[in-house]
Amino acid sequence: MTLQWSVVWDNWPALLHGVLLTIALTFTTMAIAVPGGILLALMRLSPIRPLNLFATCFVELFRNLPIILVVYWAFYVLPVLTGLSLSAFATGLAALCFNVSAYNSETFRAGIASIRAGQTEAGLALGMSRSTAFRTIVLPQAWRRVLPVLASTWVSLFKDTSLVSVIAVGELAYTALQIRSQTFRVLEMLTAMAAIYWLLGYPQAKLVDWIHRRMGVLE
Amino acid sequence: MTAVPPRPVIQYEGVVKTFGTFTALRGVSLEVNHGEVVCLIGPSGSGKSTLLRCTNGLEPIDSGRVLFDGVALPAQPKALYRVRQRMGMVFQSFELFPHKTALDNVAIGPITVLGMPRTQARERAMALLDKVGLADKAGSLPAKLSGGQQQRVAIARALAMQPEVMLFDEPTSALDPETIGEVLNVMKRLADEGMTMVVVTHEMNFARRVADRVVVFEKGQVVESGPPEQIFDAPKTTRTRDFLGHLGWQG
Ligand SMILES: Nc1ncnc2c1ncn2[C@@H]1O[C@H](COP(=O)(O)OP(=O)(O)OP(=O)(O)O)[C@@H](O)[C@H]1O
Ligand SMILES: [Mg+2]
Repeated sequence: MTLQWSVVWDNWPALLHGVLLTIALTFTTMAIAVPGGILLALMRLSPIRPLNLFATCFVELFRNLPIILVVYWAFYVLPVLTGLSLSAFATGLAALCFNVSAYNSETFRAGIASIRAGQTEAGLALGMSRSTAFRTIVLPQAWRRVLPVLASTWVSLFKDTSLVSVIAVGELAYTALQIRSQTFRVLEMLTAMAAIYWLLGYPQAKLVDWIHRRMGVLE
Repeated sequence: MTAVPPRPVIQYEGVVKTFGTFTALRGVSLEVNHGEVVCLIGPSGSGKSTLLRCTNGLEPIDSGRVLFDGVALPAQPKALYRVRQRMGMVFQSFELFPHKTALDNVAIGPITVLGMPRTQARERAMALLDKVGLADKAGSLPAKLSGGQQQRVAIARALAMQPEVMLFDEPTSALDPETIGEVLNVMKRLADEGMTMVVVTHEMNFARRVADRVVVFEKGQVVESGPPEQIFDAPKTTRTRDFLGHLGWQG
């Protein structure tokens, strides 16, 4: 068997486009799933029953389903449910957001719960409203504590974006697999794909390690 | 000198507070007058902290009334927030905000609650840190301060709202013996300046020297209340005598 690496160089614009889409998907998902996670966490901590119930169901559902299933589900069911015809990218994004928001919600819930009640009370005693005390006292402290976990979630998400290739979102995995099936250069394309994911993922993992070391608890 | 008639700032009228089936306060009636220092003493679990927390509405009460400046504590959250701005509170465990410097801990109230411009709030905070003897620690995070220093910052933080009364819940109980004095000195000076203060304390010497009135608590009730000379030298109830005896108080 002869290897023909030129297939990788010949297709570099497509691969680069795939890489950019993978990165865009990761960023956009996190940009939505961080506020989404905070919102869900607040709903779960809220004494208002319907909010609490909705958030609990949402989180427990999407946290415990395989992402690939959610991706298919979003592809086939979401358009029927909402009557919207979403692009493949938007569908993949939605599926990832459902999953990561559910994860982040639990991360934030634990982070918020780890800040003792006395901190909020100290704010209230100054005359702050509950929401001001939450924003200025609890959230900044919780944020520090959850950042390492969010960073790990980020690294998983970066790899998990590959799952949306099953609905033909042209990110890195899809692009590489497309080139493979057009050129029949299986080994070359899979190796290239692995190399690209690794080269992009490794620095991120190192960054996460650094955040873990850096973000000690202040007390 | 003409006698100023006492003006009650805080009035408790038959305050009852329950936690589930447990009654922590069994109808407490008490008045704190303007400029007065009232020390609450009593055994652990007798409801002293609970009374303090009911004073600024951190705990809602089950029956009776708490009046501040002649007005019952409002139930409506926004109105309650406004009342709390006028009462300072100091906690046993300090509860400084660990992510903010000493200066920002003191400035945060005026900035977030009063909407004061940052530079002005920081000026006020600096003056208060100076007052509690910690001007040189303005840039330090709480974790870098000793317990006594943290508690003095916490007092400055409460004072930054220019409160009309100060509530202290065992402010020195979590401190190393060598830093207790510096906190008590700050409190003594505050009392001398005429601040109205309610102080839950186990520091009997402080109560004796600084209090205008000492209130003895037991099982959610006021057992005895009077000037320190009465409580410490000639207690009228055996329960006061027993409690002080347990502490080894010799008079
Ligand atoms: N949030 C709560 N839930 C249930 N019980 C409570 C709560 N807060 C206080 N209690 C109970 O109420 C009683 C009075 O408590 P409180 O903290 O007011 O006592 P204290 O006089 O301040 O005692 P100490 O000197 O130990 O601080 C205690 O028996 C305590 O267990
Ligand atoms: Mg107490």
